[in-house]
Amino acid sequence: MKISYQWLLELTGLDWPVDQVADRLTLCGTACEDIVSTARHMKNVVVGEVRDLKPIEGADKIRLATVSIGSETMDVVCGAPNVAVGQKVPVATLGAELAGGLTIKKTKIRGVESSAMICSQAELGLSDDHAGIWVLEADLTVGESLVTALDYDDYILDFELTPNRADSMSAIGIARDLAALAGVRINYPTYAINEDTELSSDHVSVAIQDTDACGRFTARVIKGVTIGPSPWWLQKKLIASGIRPISNIVDITNYILLETGNPLHAFDLDLFGSNQVLVRRAHDGEKFTTLDGKEHTLTPDVLMITNGTESVGAGGVMGGLDSEVKDSTTNILLEVAYFDPSVIRKSRRHLGLVTEASQRFEKGVDPNNAVHASNRAAYLFQELCGGKVLGGIVDNYPKPFAPRQVNLRPDRCRAILGAEFSAGRMKEILGNLEFEVSGSDPIECLVPTFRHDITREIDLIEEVARIEGYDAIDDADINSGPLFTPIHLEDRFIDDVRRVMTSAGYDEMLGHGLAHSKDAARLEADVPQLKIINPVSEDLDIMRNSLVLSALPVVAHNIAHRNLDLQLFEIGKAYFPPDNSGAGREEDRLLVLVTGSTPGSWRDKPRPCDFHDLAGALENLRGHFRWPQPSFEPATVPYLETGQSFAISLEGRSAGVMGALDPATGRKFDIKQPVFLAELQLSSLLALSDRQPVFTPLPIYPAAPRDLAMIVSESVRVGDIIDEIRSVAGGLAESVELFDLYTGKQIPKGKKSVAVAISYRSPERSLSSEEVEQKQQDVIAALKQKFNADIRDKQE
Amino acid sequence: MSLAEEIVQLEEEALERIGSADSLDSLGELKVRYLGRKGPVMAILKSLGQLPPDQRKEIGARANALRSKLEARFEEAARAFEETTEAASIDPTLPGTGNRIGAVHVVNQVMDEICRTFYGMGFEIAHGPHVETDHYNFEALNFPPDHPARDMQDTFFVEGDLVLRTHTTPVQARELERRQPPMKIITPGKTFRNEEISTRAHVSFHQVDGFLVDEGVSMADLKGVLVAFCKAFFGEGLKLKFRPSFFPFTEPSAEVDINCFLCRGEGCQLCKYSGWLEILGCGMIHPNVLETAGYDAEKYTGYAFGIGVERIAMLKYHINDIRLLFNNNVRFLRQFL
Repeated sequence: MKISYQWLLELTGLDWPVDQVADRLTLCGTACEDIVSTARHMKNVVVGEVRDLKPIEGADKIRLATVSIGSETMDVVCGAPNVAVGQKVPVATLGAELAGGLTIKKTKIRGVESSAMICSQAELGLSDDHAGIWVLEADLTVGESLVTALDYDDYILDFELTPNRADSMSAIGIARDLAALAGVRINYPTYAINEDTELSSDHVSVAIQDTDACGRFTARVIKGVTIGPSPWWLQKKLIASGIRPISNIVDITNYILLETGNPLHAFDLDLFGSNQVLVRRAHDGEKFTTLDGKEHTLTPDVLMITNGTESVGAGGVMGGLDSEVKDSTTNILLEVAYFDPSVIRKSRRHLGLVTEASQRFEKGVDPNNAVHASNRAAYLFQELCGGKVLGGIVDNYPKPFAPRQVNLRPDRCRAILGAEFSAGRMKEILGNLEFEVSGSDPIECLVPTFRHDITREIDLIEEVARIEGYDAIDDADINSGPLFTPIHLEDRFIDDVRRVMTSAGYDEMLGHGLAHSKDAARLEADVPQLKIINPVSEDLDIMRNSLVLSALPVVAHNIAHRNLDLQLFEIGKAYFPPDNSGAGREEDRLLVLVTGSTPGSWRDKPRPCDFHDLAGALENLRGHFRWPQPSFEPATVPYLETGQSFAISLEGRSAGVMGALDPATGRKFDIKQPVFLAELQLSSLLALSDRQPVFTPLPIYPAAPRDLAMIVSESVRVGDIIDEIRSVAGGLAESVELFDLYTGKQIPKGKKSVAVAISYRSPERSLSSEEVEQKQQDVIAALKQKFNADIRDKQE
Repeated sequence: MSLAEEIVQLEEEALERIGSADSLDSLGELKVRYLGRKGPVMAILKSLGQLPPDQRKEIGARANALRSKLEARFEEAARAFEETTEAASIDPTLPGTGNRIGAVHVVNQVMDEICRTFYGMGFEIAHGPHVETDHYNFEALNFPPDHPARDMQDTFFVEGDLVLRTHTTPVQARELERRQPPMKIITPGKTFRNEEISTRAHVSFHQVDGFLVDEGVSMADLKGVLVAFCKAFFGEGLKLKFRPSFFPFTEPSAEVDINCFLCRGEGCQLCKYSGWLEILGCGMIHPNVLETAGYDAEKYTGYAFGIGVERIAMLKYHINDIRLLFNNNVRFLRQFL
């Protein structure tokens, strides 16, 4: 909310510099986010008077104005249609720096030399009103600087208010904090109304159908107003708050709203349609046109002001088009009401409108200030519009709000804040904030009805703290809490996975978790999707149900940026619709992928990545966590290529899938190069991790290495050969490693050559060569028998 | 000159020459000259047969000793040459080979560092679900239904009357129910807000919340712990500013600014010329929150704070577009090895 700095000084009688006002308010919770000088675009701008207007040859949109600025008379080219002889206008002279970055220099327009410009409000940075030049009040002195003439050396303070502080949404509200900080009281604006003998109640009665929704409704009549512009002193406060002056009637209601925080509405009494106000819920399907010209179809969620038969306003949000104040208006029906915050919240949501009024009502205005606000407005109608204020106010206030009593125990305040504030100081602060305080322990406080946010002791403690300043609370210098801080297994596990993967050269990616339902269907149509009811955009309408879903766009993004060689992993969640208990379902997963070429170097040439690179990454993890031997079963995964996709299980527990991305699926995600990926369930893997290795004594007896090469059918798995060797050798084969695998010219079709290195060793004794030879022969026999292996010549 | 004297002289001369040889080639020439078939040592050995038997044995032994000694010295000298030659041929500027390491995602790096810093102060890590109930995300945290405070947190709703948690504070509500005081916990993790994606906002971000509940916890304790954190994380000599603010689940509430670590408070683009950077929100846990969890708020008090990880990461590394964090372009990721 924007408020004029001068206005705050006026209300508090302070003379603090603007920075002090802004800083002190910020440090009490009324955060001033920006300070803008009203005069920032008024340097070298003076009051001028238009003396003459001539057409310019060959131009129909611009004219040549002769303008006096006191010291001289100059010719100024002007394109505004509303310029006229005799007007007082703002004239920007050489060196003026206008809004939008325009600096006034000597220029030639259509052959006419011009070194000044007649300005609109927009060009002076006051509003976005570009409609024409700004016609100033006639009594200004020609030649005077505009800032002086307008008494406009002000600052606009822009406050970012917290939603609990409805009371701050007015000049008085902010001034109240300022006054409390300075220890002064507010100069409340006054009024002196000459009430007519004719009564408002002769013209209007007020009935409220739903008194929970509308707690108070005041109405009064002002007759014989003359519509015209409002005076500059009033306009400039509206302009500072970003409200465009319209006419005296509308400006006065806006002005009192800014001053008091109570929204007001002025109806044209003659267009109101009856002498009765009825506040009721809208009928289902009722049509209503707000004064912005938009037609709405209503439900009972919307609270309506009616004339008994027809709606004339959406209560607390916006008036109706039909009863709006017009240039011809002479008689006014003035409404100041109190509406329930949650009712207004629903109303304005239904209407899709946020207005100055709705913003205040939905946070909570002061119902007990309605009459004061009405009086202030009536006074201004009398003074500025020549209105005759009828006697009395029709005030329907079925359940008056009484100030709440909340007590503050000084000891409790000191204990919560950890600061030694005195009870006297607490009372002083609360008193300055206009609480009625009495007693000393507890301090009994009557909470003013503009402070809806104060309901219990802690709220008073906060008031004391924020006005005294958080700097007055010392920082504790001891640490407290439980004696021991555990690190949980799950967190350690995730850290370790991350460490192992990055050590192996994999980069960690991080997904935002949202995805597109269509992408999910392209990947795995059968997997349930958790739908977002109010997506921010169409392409982020579900939560990812697989990490692959968010990884493929990452691959595509990188390829599009010519990062073709990727080794990536992600630790994150996949999300599914709620289970029967109603709780959301989430699964922690690990995704690993490789694509493009291996990193390579100048010495080891890169080669295309494949499945076995991926397997290597997983073996690193297996080694680190001592997972049991995995088994790979051919699986049908829609997005993996048939024959190259496997379900991984460890000790019968399903742990995930791995394989080659199906090229057709890849193309749907704009990926045209082979991708190999694995998605694993972290909970299964954590459960199988062995965090307790047991020491194996280092060997003391010599090893007997033997190589073995064989030709077997291509369908035989190397893992099975190795398992068989281990099994036949019993405990004597300390390692069996594949060192060569070959298919090609020298090997018959459908066969492969497999060479393994076996290291025989016993932990208990030296093996004799006969013993080793015997084992080797047993192994050979078993391989021949089981795999029909053709053993090739011994390597030695 | 006797043969014995000749041998001594020969040895001195040969050793001196070996010592001053300046290349492997000249060393080879010397070797041929001294130990070759036509060399002096060979000549002596060949002449042994013409010597009287009493001298033959002695001279023979000396000549043979000389031969072995020279051979050894030649070999030694040659090896020295080979070693220097090989060392000189290495280009140390060639890129090293072997496995490169990967980068932990910068958001996780920052989140881990925040967690480690708080762990050092005795905070235990706890996690909770990302898909939350209205109760834990809002109600239990003193957001009444249909309250303007809910507008502060643009919420994604998902099927089953659930929400994507808008902060990690629901974990606080869950832990309050699950444990007994004293408890001192941080809750790092992913959160979601229904915001248009732009350079400054994203649908997802990460947060580290923390809280302490015990008897006699005060706002002074909160200030102490956050000052200690900021100094440990951002560096000593840092100034902090606690500004009153509003969060439904804390009261009194504060936002904490630190003086800009780039310009040290002078004013720069990073701090938008204010000299200050807003880095976290905090406050005393609202008694309504403690009471909802079944605590006697007269007996137990607590503080809580919340830190936006992306914001800290962006400030710390001068990252100007939050979307870079989620695009996962490896050129970006690898800048944070």
